[in-house]
Amino acid sequence: MMLLVPAAHANTDAETRLTAVFLGRFASYVDWPPAERAHFVITVLGDNPFGALLDELYRNKHIQGKPVELHYAQTLKQIGPTDILFINLHSASGRLAAIQFAHQHGALSISESRGFADSGGIIQLNVVEQKPQIKINYAAAVASGLKIGSPLLSIATVLRKDQP
Amino acid sequence: MFNKIAIRYKLIILLGLSGGFALLISSLIMVYSTYLNQSKSSMQVLHQLTDVISDNMRAALAFGDANSASSILASLQANPHILLAIATDSSGQVLGEYRSQQLPAARAQAHKQALAQILDEQPDALQQAGQFIQRIQPDWMGVAKPILFEGQAIGSLAILSDTREIWDQFRRFVLMQVIASGLTVILLLFLSLKFQAVFTRPILNLIDGMRTVAQTKNYRTVLESGHQDEFKHLYDVFNSMLIDIQERDERLFKLATTDALTGLTNRHHAMELLGSMVARARRTSQPFGLIMVDLDFFKKINDTYGHQAGDLVLQETAKVLRSSARDYDLVARFGGEEFLIACDNASLDTCITVVERIQQGLASCNIEYAPERSLKVTASLGVYSSTNQPANTPIAAMLSAADAALYRAKDAGRNTYRVA
Repeated sequence: MMLLVPAAHANTDAETRLTAVFLGRFASYVDWPPAERAHFVITVLGDNPFGALLDELYRNKHIQGKPVELHYAQTLKQIGPTDILFINLHSASGRLAAIQFAHQHGALSISESRGFADSGGIIQLNVVEQKPQIKINYAAAVASGLKIGSPLLSIATVLRKDQP
Repeated sequence: MFNKIAIRYKLIILLGLSGGFALLISSLIMVYSTYLNQSKSSMQVLHQLTDVISDNMRAALAFGDANSASSILASLQANPHILLAIATDSSGQVLGEYRSQQLPAARAQAHKQALAQILDEQPDALQQAGQFIQRIQPDWMGVAKPILFEGQAIGSLAILSDTREIWDQFRRFVLMQVIASGLTVILLLFLSLKFQAVFTRPILNLIDGMRTVAQTKNYRTVLESGHQDEFKHLYDVFNSMLIDIQERDERLFKLATTDALTGLTNRHHAMELLGSMVARARRTSQPFGLIMVDLDFFKKINDTYGHQAGDLVLQETAKVLRSSARDYDLVARFGGEEFLIACDNASLDTCITVVERIQQGLASCNIEYAPERSLKVTASLGVYSSTNQPANTPIAAMLSAADAALYRAKDAGRNTYRVA
């Protein structure tokens, strides 16, 4: 098992804003299994790096035709049904548990942690000097019941084999 | 200058110019139409290409992936006509760019500046779906469209292509048009050469006919026209004019050759005919005779009964002379009460027979000069016959001989004849 490490450097405000924007944009290229939820839920697990940014960006916005609802959680137990799970945990074990949780609940797991995609997370997003680096674990997405659109795959580094 | 050119050449020029102008106008319309169609077609292709690239570009732009953007734009190298493609994000920063290897850097920079200027002039023109900017310049044409993400513009894509293809096709079309026009003009000239005859042939035929009439003086000529148009009318008018001339000539001829009172040949014409008759008689060695007739006491008739009676006597005498002579003999009034009969192919006996018929005719002719008043006249006659005369006796000598014989008849008491 590869070690999950946090992002190598602290994001600037601009890079954090880009990450916040990209969270919603990822949703445009992902198909979830049908769910009865009335809202499109984005959950931030761990420390919230965005502050009030997500609320500003997604207030009164719709994703997948549903109004966006933001949740913030520190532990897995606090997580309710969610479509996107942004994982910002410092511990590798915590991240692995969160990946497992997302996999079980059909959520799109996203993180800026190094080795995230290699460890079974679906999208690893690193914004360096305002240039995004996207790594997608396609097998993990398929295993979670998600379909990722080819335009997104075309600009990302894609891991197609099942990862441990 | 134009008036000096023959009608056939005027017609050729007219037909050729008419056809040429029609061809020129239609060619210009076709060339312009082709240019519009080519431009429209090329622009449509550019629109389609921009739409496709925009779709592919959306994800790269959404995530600010410059490498992917450039990679997608690099696929444009498959189209040799694409000169420049620029993808910009919502802040106007260039995210990806493609420049054809055929496009020099300086020209690329000029195109970019032109593009930037166009976009600056219309800052809100690329914000919504369906919006676009297009331009056609002499050496390039371009389309810019917004790239939309979830209904919002996240950037724009501008693609510029050269206009070589348009101009190449345009040049090919113009060349084809020039060749076709040249061949058509040659055909038109050929047809003009043929068709001008339709108009000029009747005129030339008429001119030939007029020239022939002028040379031959044969006003009985009738010029035939196979046309049923204005040319037939022209021919009819000309033929009618010929008939008028002919009738006028006949009237003039009659006035010039006949005696108005008796209707007999006058002296002048008689002398002309006499020359021909004598010449023919000499050529054919046939006998020939002249009978000179002079009414007896005609002056007394005039004095006694008046000139009207005298004229009547002359007219009745003319009738007797004409009925007494043969059909082909010449009967002429020679002057006053003197008449001449030229007997063609007539021996002396034949001439005497004619003389006796005249005497009998006059003797049996009662000339009614007033109601229930009539008179009779007699004539003295001198006969000349070529029989036993020198073959080359001049006409004047013949006439003198006949005249001398006439006076001998007068001297013999009148109402008789003498032979020269």
